[in-house]
Amino acid sequence: MNGGDEGPLRRAAPALLGLGVLALWEGLVRAYAVPDYVLPGPLAVARALAADWPLLSASLLVTLEVAVLALAAAVLVGGLLAVLFAQSRWLERALFPYAVVLQVTPIVAIAPLILIWVDNVTVALLICAWIVAFFPVLSNTVLGLRSADRNLADLFRLYGATRWQVLWLLRLPSALPFFLAGLRVAGGLALIGAVVAEFVAGAGGSGSGLAFRILEASFQLRIPRMFAALALISACGIALFALLGLLQHRLLRRWHESALARER
Amino acid sequence: MDCGRSPPSPGLSLRIPGFAFAGVPVLGAFALELRGGETTALLGPSGSGKSTLLRMVAGLLPAPAGARIAAADGGPVAGRLAWMAQQDLLLPWLDLLGNVMLGARLRGEAPDRARALRLIEAVGLAGRERARPAELSGGMRQRAALARTLMEDRPFVLMDEPFSAVDAPTRHRLQGLAARLLAGRTVLLVTHDPLEAMRLAHRVLVLRGSPAVPVEVPVPAAAPPREAHDVAVLTAQGALLESLAEATAEAA
Repeated sequence: MNGGDEGPLRRAAPALLGLGVLALWEGLVRAYAVPDYVLPGPLAVARALAADWPLLSASLLVTLEVAVLALAAAVLVGGLLAVLFAQSRWLERALFPYAVVLQVTPIVAIAPLILIWVDNVTVALLICAWIVAFFPVLSNTVLGLRSADRNLADLFRLYGATRWQVLWLLRLPSALPFFLAGLRVAGGLALIGAVVAEFVAGAGGSGSGLAFRILEASFQLRIPRMFAALALISACGIALFALLGLLQHRLLRRWHESALARER
Repeated sequence: MDCGRSPPSPGLSLRIPGFAFAGVPVLGAFALELRGGETTALLGPSGSGKSTLLRMVAGLLPAPAGARIAAADGGPVAGRLAWMAQQDLLLPWLDLLGNVMLGARLRGEAPDRARALRLIEAVGLAGRERARPAELSGGMRQRAALARTLMEDRPFVLMDEPFSAVDAPTRHRLQGLAARLLAGRTVLLVTHDPLEAMRLAHRVLVLRGSPAVPVEVPVPAAAPPREAHDVAVLTAQGALLESLAEATAEAA
């Protein structure tokens, strides 16, 4: 995020590299006459994307909705829990291990259970994606709340600040950079969680998200459509990551070391 | 420059029965009267307990049993203190004006904006009210911290090496500024800098011995703030430096 004097070539480097790889891919597929059902070239994938756009875009919205809602829930629950933990060591000691258990349990293993227990498929998917996404928000925010400068805390004490003021005016702003870093990780995880849960649900024949389209296309051997759906998921993840990065930059650029322009 | 003078500040009397940190005695038993409206400088080797004493007075460290820290007018000490540390202690997410008015905000009072602006001008930062600390240089940040300390308008001012992190000319200017703007307050100034002590303080104490107790050293006859090039100041500074060197040798 430290832009400024970068030349246009350096800025375009990732895109150029991507185009190069795509061209190589297309060339190899054509040179060796690889059939579409084994490995479609990028042009075939693009054609499938255009042809199936009504179907894929509807699925994209479904997946995106789950991911974004799960991220929002992760922020809400992770943030609130972190604030509670910061207020009470006792509560943290009691609850944190369970948050870790939730984090380390493979989501593929518990998704089928959640899909059985929860009737509404969207809600079940939401729960799965939330489980994956909320931990980075929680652990980063807990760390951030605890990282408030001790000398500043002394100053607040000297000025007779209340517990609420210390939280609101000192600890929460101190935690903001940590929270935002956690949010960026959680954004990608929410999408992955949504896709994984859709796979599990899709294997059971229910669903309409992108992962379901991938499964469906693989059963029907429409490999270009599979790749198109995959490309859409990647594009979504990149967009989400970039968007959260932008948010991070806007919120921190005037005061936090990570986002300050270095001119001195 | 009048920034709202308050009535003369009361004195502060300290009686410390000794203080140990993790079982190691740091401060010996002593009694100390800080005279009202005067600046008392406290020097001593590193680890001699200067900052410990300051933090104890501020109430940031629990005072040992039998210790007594009382204002001469019988009022409370807590809540009548302003604090300035070696670090500027500015909140990075607040702008300069917000930082200067932090104390009032924490007390839930309506901050006196006009006074804050006058103080910002007095420390030479007019026009930078909206700047965040990251946009200011080290010396400017320390001046901002000084403005905030003065904004508090407290009778007791505790300073912990307030100017040690800035370069010599800036320090020289800040000392002059602080002396002018802090006149009439009861100030306890912890410092490493003998010249700073001799320029600013009515009384100068050196923490000596182990466990350490404050020992008074002579100061020039003229009232502070004194000129840095005054021969009497330079002579006293030399004597203080020797006393400090002895104190360091004793502590080793």
